[in-house]
Formats: sequence, C-alpha cells, structure tokens
Amino acid sequence: MTFTRQGTCLFRPQFGILCRHAVPMGTTANEEMNTFWAKNNKLNRPMSPHLTIYKWSMPMMMSITHRGTGVGLSGGISAFALLALVLPGNYPYYLDLIHSLSVGPALLSLAKFGIAFPVSYHTLNGIRHLFWDSGKGFKIPEVYRSGYVVIVLSILTSIAAIAYM
Amino acid sequence: MDEHALFYRSSLLSRTLVAQQKDQDCPYPLTARIHGSSSLYAGSVSKAASLHWTGERVVSVLLLAMGPAAYYFPGPAVDYSLAAALTLHGHWGIGQVLTDYVHGEPKIKMVNAGLFLLSTVTFAGLCYFNYNDVGICKAVALLWSK
Repeated sequence: MTFTRQGTCLFRPQFGILCRHAVPMGTTANEEMNTFWAKNNKLNRPMSPHLTIYKWSMPMMMSITHRGTGVGLSGGISAFALLALVLPGNYPYYLDLIHSLSVGPALLSLAKFGIAFPVSYHTLNGIRHLFWDSGKGFKIPEVYRSGYVVIVLSILTSIAAIAYM
Repeated sequence: MDEHALFYRSSLLSRTLVAQQKDQDCPYPLTARIHGSSSLYAGSVSKAASLHWTGERVVSVLLLAMGPAAYYFPGPAVDYSLAAALTLHGHWGIGQVLTDYVHGEPKIKMVNAGLFLLSTVTFAGLCYFNYNDVGICKAVALLWSK
C-alpha cells in the first residue's frame, strides 16, 4: 500500500492509486460543471424533482432563509444607494414625508421588525456559518441546537430593537 | 439534500484516498500526505479560489465588528468603512448565488457583468450619501427614532 511522508514516496503500481498526492485531474471542477450543464441542456433533459419531493429539514430552511435575507438586504441597500443618487432632496426630507403619512404604531413596529429581523437573522446565522468555517459544530445535534439558538436570538433581538430604541 | 447544487468529481478521488488510509494502520496524519501543487505535478493549481474564500470570511468578520463600531463611534470613518464592507460582502454574496444558479459560459459572464455594475453603483450611491447627506450611521439612528 502507499505510505507517504514529506519527501518520500513509495508507490505500488499494481494498486494504481496515489502517490503523495492525488492524480492531477484533466479538467477543473468548473469545466466539469459546464460540460454537465451543456450536455444536459443540449439534450433538453428535464431536471429530476428535488425541492418538491424531498422532506424539508430545519437546516435546509435556515440555509435558504440565510440566502433569502442576504439577497433581500443586498437588494435593499442597492435600492437605497440608487435612490440616494437619483432622488432630489435629502434624507431627513423623505423621512419627514414618511412620518407625515401617520402610519400608526402597529404598522410602524411591523415595518421595523421587517427590517430588524433579516439583519438580525442573517448576522446571527452568519456567525454560525463562521463557526462551521472554523471546523466546529458539524455534528447533527449541534447543527440543530445552534440553529434553534439563532432563530430564538434573532426574534428576541429584533423585538428588543423595536421596543428599546 | 442541499439546495446549493454543486458537485466535485475530485472529492470522489480524495474519498477513495481516505478509505485506503483507514484500511491500514497509518502512522502519519492525513494532511501530511495530501497537498496541492508540488514538483511531481504536471501543472500548478491557482490559489485564486482559496484566497477568495478567505477574503470573504475576512470581510464578514470586519463587517461584524462594524456593528458595535457604528453604534459606539458613529461618524464618517465608520460610514465609509460600512459602505465599502457592505458593498463588497453583498457583491461576493450575490456572486455565489449567481454561481449556484446560472450555468453556461455566456450567461455567467453576462450576469457577473451586471452584478459588477450594480455593486459599483451601490458603492457610489452610498459614498454620495455619506458625503452629501447625513451618512449611514446617522440615517439608521434617524430611521429608528421614529
């Protein structure tokens, strides 16, 4: 069998497996992916059902929510930046404009929650992601536990942000 | 099932390697044997993807730090740092979403060009807001004081 150590390499050809590192691939992962899609699109193959048939799990839902909040927040920031460039008048002017609509406290809190929760959730779940990036917390019970912590804290901090400020 | 649909054939190869190692009594740590480029390689592997990944995490951590910074030290320094970090984090984030769902060379090039345009305008708009208007920190404070 192959035993390797830095600087030495014993290679048994009949196993045809690896020396001190993997056999170099002829194509990159990117090239392979593009080939896959080109072939299947050309043959007009339908995609197998996936999201519609597999059982949804909490980690799955949290993952796509992380993506959804990220895209939403990014879109919001871009929209804000675009409006800043395009609209005449300054920010306090438009804020007063919104104030004068006299929306009512319930709707106001709802709107604040609508901003606070995506920020809160994406931030807290982002920290969870960074823990994963450091290699920690991959055991399934840990994944679910950290997930519940993120959800609860997101709701609590959003409510705190509305009530406190 | 992961809704982020990517697959790597190279991972199958490394899994074979792991299986082989586990069958023997291997006295050496796995990481000592498997490494990317070396003199035995025909070609070299670009570190671009790896550096990009690290860059993404660094910006994420910096953005995290800017939360308390904005709360305790609002002002132009944090305003412009926030503009930069938010734009870059969003740009890379949306880039990953596009990579996951858009396939085919011409389409990929097109959407990435569009994203680059959007991010540029976003950064310009935020800087304009910081310079000519109240700035990001003050804007959030005013919004919340409703």
